[in-house]
Amino acid sequence: MDFDTAVKLNIYETIARTTQAPTSADVAEALSTSPEEVEAALERLHKKRLLVPEPGNPSRIRMAPPFSGVETSFRVKVQDNVYYANCAWDALGIAAALQADARIEASDGYSSEPMMLEVRNGQPVPQSCVIHFAVPAAHWWDDILYT
Amino acid sequence: MLLFRSEETVTQWCEARGLPKRPSINLNQLWYLAMTWYENRLTVESRRPGPDEMVEIFARVGLEGPFWDPKADQWHSAT
Repeated sequence: MDFDTAVKLNIYETIARTTQAPTSADVAEALSTSPEEVEAALERLHKKRLLVPEPGNPSRIRMAPPFSGVETSFRVKVQDNVYYANCAWDALGIAAALQADARIEASDGYSSEPMMLEVRNGQPVPQSCVIHFAVPAAHWWDDILYT
Repeated sequence: MLLFRSEETVTQWCEARGLPKRPSINLNQLWYLAMTWYENRLTVESRRPGPDEMVEIFARVGLEGPFWDPKADQWHSAT
């Protein structure tokens, strides 16, 4: 396994286990390397559109899709763990990645009215909702934090 | 992308921001995309779909045209 893959896997395994994104120092300790080496890997993974470091702070992870490194309006509960997703797609993606049932607390993008989505036995529970894409696919990564 | 309770609140959101209404998908389409993107994300083999794969994946759930093509330099403001 190459170094960047080891970094990526350590990040995902840590988030899945603890719900929290590790810092570059945490990953460095786990892989017996330096935070600088890990941050260089994060930047390479960012260029491959696999991770997003925190803007202005390369030691922290803002997005390890489908997981968010910060609290968002998409709160995903899996058993007793609470994760945060970057968007509705990623909220379902957490259930897919963890291969687990999930309850997703979200809200209507216009009215902020609370909404609940649920994944049970590998399928979404039917729910009246619409997912609107304001940005075309060719521009999703122009500003992924907005997309 | 944003989640809405109905097409009505999508329209209200777009009008409030002076933005054109663009494509929407339903929950089953979103679940297919979520599974395709993330089902293996915690494994060594995991990788993000490439641009041509993305076009094929979107087409499988009926999402076709330049809006869904990551290589498109032009797209229509489809509704």
